[in-house]
Amino acid sequence: MKETKRLFRWFWAWNDEQEEAWLKEQARDGWHLVTPGVFGRYTFERGVPRNDVYRLDYKTTGKDMEEYLQLFSDAGWEHLGYMGGWQYFRTTAEEGEDPEIYTDNASKVQKYQRLLLFLVIFLPIYITSLNNVSGAEFAFAQVISALLALALLLYSYAIVRIMLRIRQLKR
Amino acid sequence: MSPTGSIAKHLPLSEATYYIMLMLVTPRHGYGVMQQVDQITDGVVKVGAGTLYGALSTLEKDELVTMVRKEGRRKFYELTERGREVLRCHLGRLELMVDNGRQVMGTKPRGE
Repeated sequence: MKETKRLFRWFWAWNDEQEEAWLKEQARDGWHLVTPGVFGRYTFERGVPRNDVYRLDYKTTGKDMEEYLQLFSDAGWEHLGYMGGWQYFRTTAEEGEDPEIYTDNASKVQKYQRLLLFLVIFLPIYITSLNNVSGAEFAFAQVISALLALALLLYSYAIVRIMLRIRQLKR
Repeated sequence: MSPTGSIAKHLPLSEATYYIMLMLVTPRHGYGVMQQVDQITDGVVKVGAGTLYGALSTLEKDELVTMVRKEGRRKFYELTERGREVLRCHLGRLELMVDNGRQVMGTKPRGE
């Protein structure tokens, strides 16, 4: 059996490019991503160092998933799995520039807009549950409410960061 | 030729969208489009899988392309009549841009 390792890494939604760079570094050290797991638990497999390129796309699963994965596979991208709505792809880098899945800024902006839409849709749910818990009187209600408030804060921060990223790309 | 409102709102096309539409004058699947763009532009214009997928979804939603058949998991798309009209209008604009550019810069068309 091949040697494997598990790494936990918190993945900030606005930092997908740093995530790609980190996975590339791992591959250069001979650790190849097997699959991304829930809450940033990555499984790597030991192998020879490779000059691989990792790319993350944001796409929630839908009925067009088969066609989507077929296209990426045809274009030479190996699908490693997904975490949240993030799809993980890998290919071997050729000489020169690293292959991209987004070749212009307009389509890159659309990727972040899809992510933003998803976050904004869920925002009311967070706020509603926060209201419900802070009104309740059971034990730990305050703890849970504090945790939810923290999550909401992070959530809002993520939305702002993604909006800034979109603005930067549009410039 | 001045395009009507419903056509004009799609103009100007981005470079990627222009090439994708151009390749869909005849039916092709997604990867076929990528290959053909790479080939006819000698690799100058590259359309990544993510860019292509997003553009195809938008074009289909706007009814500029339509799926004509399916082979396994691959869908083949082709321009609709409306898509052809948009492409023709864009081509007219490109010609104007090139003509204006040549007049001002004083350069001759290639091959003359």
